[in-house]
Amino acid sequence: MEARRGLGMVLLVALVLTYPFIDRALGFQTVHAVSDGMIYVLLALGLNIVVGYAGLLDLGYAAFFAIGAYAMGLLNSPVLGSPLYGHVWSFWLCIWLAAAVSALLGTLIGAPTLRVRGDYLAIITLGFGEIIPVAIRNLGDVTIEIGRWRPIERLNLTGGENGVNPVGRPYLPGVPFETDPMPWYYLILVIGALSLWSMSRLADSRLGRAWMAIREDETAADCTGVNPITTKLLAFALGASFSGFAGSVYAAKLQAITPGAFEFQVSIMLLCMVVLGGAGTLRGVILGAMLITVFDRVILAEATFFTRWLGRTLGVPLLATADFTLWRWFFFGLGLVLVMLLRPQGLAGRRVKPPPMTEVDEVAEAALPPAPAAETIPLWLRERAKGPTGDGAGPILQVRGLAKRFGGVVALNDVDIVVPRGGVVGLIGPNGAGKTTFFNVVTGLVPADGGGITFDGRSIVGLRPNAIVERGIARTFQSIRLFAHMTVLENVLVGEHCRLRSSVPGAVFRPPAVRAEEARARERARSLLAFVGLGDKGEDLARNLPYGDQRRLEIARALATEPRLLLLDEPTAGMNPRETETLTDLIGILRRELALSVLLIEHDMQVVMSISDRITVLDYGTRIAEGTPAEIQRHPRVIEAYLGTGYEPDATRSSEAR
Amino acid sequence: MLALADVHTHYGSIRALRGISLTVESREIVTLIGANGAGKTTTLRTILGAVRPSRGTVTFKGQRVDGLATDRIVRLGIAHSPEGRRIFPRMTVMENLEMGAFARVDRDAIAPDLERVLTLFPRLRERVAQKGGTLSGGEQQMLAIGRALMARPSLLLLDEPSMGLSPILVDAIFKIVQEVNRQGTTILLVEQNARMALRVAHRGYVIQTGRIVLQDAAAELLRSDLVRKTYLGEK
Repeated sequence: MEARRGLGMVLLVALVLTYPFIDRALGFQTVHAVSDGMIYVLLALGLNIVVGYAGLLDLGYAAFFAIGAYAMGLLNSPVLGSPLYGHVWSFWLCIWLAAAVSALLGTLIGAPTLRVRGDYLAIITLGFGEIIPVAIRNLGDVTIEIGRWRPIERLNLTGGENGVNPVGRPYLPGVPFETDPMPWYYLILVIGALSLWSMSRLADSRLGRAWMAIREDETAADCTGVNPITTKLLAFALGASFSGFAGSVYAAKLQAITPGAFEFQVSIMLLCMVVLGGAGTLRGVILGAMLITVFDRVILAEATFFTRWLGRTLGVPLLATADFTLWRWFFFGLGLVLVMLLRPQGLAGRRVKPPPMTEVDEVAEAALPPAPAAETIPLWLRERAKGPTGDGAGPILQVRGLAKRFGGVVALNDVDIVVPRGGVVGLIGPNGAGKTTFFNVVTGLVPADGGGITFDGRSIVGLRPNAIVERGIARTFQSIRLFAHMTVLENVLVGEHCRLRSSVPGAVFRPPAVRAEEARARERARSLLAFVGLGDKGEDLARNLPYGDQRRLEIARALATEPRLLLLDEPTAGMNPRETETLTDLIGILRRELALSVLLIEHDMQVVMSISDRITVLDYGTRIAEGTPAEIQRHPRVIEAYLGTGYEPDATRSSEAR
Repeated sequence: MLALADVHTHYGSIRALRGISLTVESREIVTLIGANGAGKTTTLRTILGAVRPSRGTVTFKGQRVDGLATDRIVRLGIAHSPEGRRIFPRMTVMENLEMGAFARVDRDAIAPDLERVLTLFPRLRERVAQKGGTLSGGEQQMLAIGRALMARPSLLLLDEPSMGLSPILVDAIFKIVQEVNRQGTTILLVEQNARMALRVAHRGYVIQTGRIVLQDAAAELLRSDLVRKTYLGEK
């Protein structure tokens, strides 16, 4: 299998390298079309960063294509009669300038879209996609008039409707870029191959994982230490820079550009390429882009030619005048509908298979998750736990007078909670009492309306969730929020994100320092998985894990951020007694061995009463009781509002007994 | 009332249920207990027609229902309170409850039922105008159960109704289950909280990797070694 795949790869590379010669020998004359196809491949790959990796639906990507093409055209055109230009800069310089300009504009355009999601983002990018060609058209004739004074008169900034013509060609001694399509083929091949190489490295890096985490669940990513703002901006900027390359080569190859070449349809066609092939997979996007361009440029034209010949031969006028190229959007649309029906993940998309059922029939074994052991705690986590902390004195978390209102509903009202260093504090209360809201305020997901939160001696009020994670607070969610379509190992690696330092150039060129960091990160992630009992499941998709394993993975991901305080939101909900017991043991080990502080929301009284040092009870957003488990169990208001009379303290395993 | 006979289901090439046979008699509470991933939820989904059996039959009130569309099965008198709080997040609590009665024809009887649900869950009454998605996790759980009750089904499928609820509400939920049953509704109950489920149920089935490994009267199951060790957490 491996050998066959390797052989296939070698044949494919050989075909790509020798294609112009094969084409010439067989007289196809398709090198131009195939080269254009490769430009679209590059564009689609750039769009894939935004749509496939970061999951930001961009309907106006052709704008960046236009920006790249015009950057090349305006800098490099020998004729455009504007005072700004007129220098003929070298193609080899302009191509980098075009990429830089595209990246800059990508950032500018990306910035206002960061706060919107889903449909709204799509509509805004659609707007930008429309604005750019219109702006290019209208900036061909700019006059500024202030009273009688005309500082600028009929300035041609962009060539207007006529576009820029000609655009300078690249120069290499002895290479006939003017007459022969072959050098273009190889030029685009080199640029495309380099882009592909850097993208594949980006995808498999700290940044690539952050993009995918944002795509899977932005809130969870934020609470795992990934800054969504910079991560999304980088996706826009890098995606745009690749289209800058594509646009500039396109302009130089075509020798002329007009605003009409960058309309909405181009954005849609690029999106089709990505979706058809399989968003988020490099192979799929290349396949999708090649299929669509070759179909458009070669097959439709040849089919038209053949049908007309057939029509003339048979004397059927309908066939003799047929023109399939007019039907191209019909065929694209049909193809897309068929692919979505038959293979929604795209032609080469990653198929999401559920795991095989375990074949274990022994009842006891099947229901028993592996027991956690203190010996399996990763060494690095122990080292971290010994490290110095803030002022080293006082409680790890101190919340004073916390208030939060949603409209007229008071969710939190003057709540005080103190978590001592190395302590486990339980937070209980009726459903809807504000417990999860309390977690959301402490982790920065929702702003407080009043009160103070001090972590490790410093205020964390107003910090972004990812910054709070970096300070050392990690959390899990009531309804599990994993990065479902990433592997178990990748989920933990995202947890390490805020402790890793590799940058964009580092991710692409992988200097020894970055390689070492990445290797260490993987080693740590594996040791964490082994600790929580998921050691053999690193390559499974998170969504395919059974429920109990998902809960444990969420804890492993939280631990990967190297927290000093762990917030657990109903960690044993939906678990059977055995699983619950294992998880309780796990929390016990964490606090004993690592002196980790824990704040715990939980409805299983056996768990809460056995591992909490102190318990706070909320009702209607207000603290109604605070004390040791024994005090709480006897507290009349707690019994009335929360425990009920059916709960008997005797049924609880006491902490001494365990 | 409900009978599954040798039901097998597959997700792709993966076998999920491997020959489940169970019956629920009219006016019974039957509970299905088992580990996570054993096939409890898949069994409910199969009854509802969301998963098609590759072998075996599902019969409801003497009529074959496997192969029918979910909405038709629901109209025959089955309601479902799904696991994981699947409510309509952008509709109000009241609208969610009204949706539960969507398929009913006895329009006059809906108002008293609404009153009954709001009395069972005073918390929902306080929040009738609030959007479902703004409720806390436990409140959404109550809403899902309330919505299922609004269908006034002859058979009620409850998937982990006690999950994420406070101890006092867990007690209340199981009292509600018994109360609803006394009023004539047959109940198939899937629960992690096996102890409580077996206390309220008449009969129980233990499901393990897609097969029924044990079935008996609930009181007998509470005494069984296997159940006590594996599902009640006793040593």
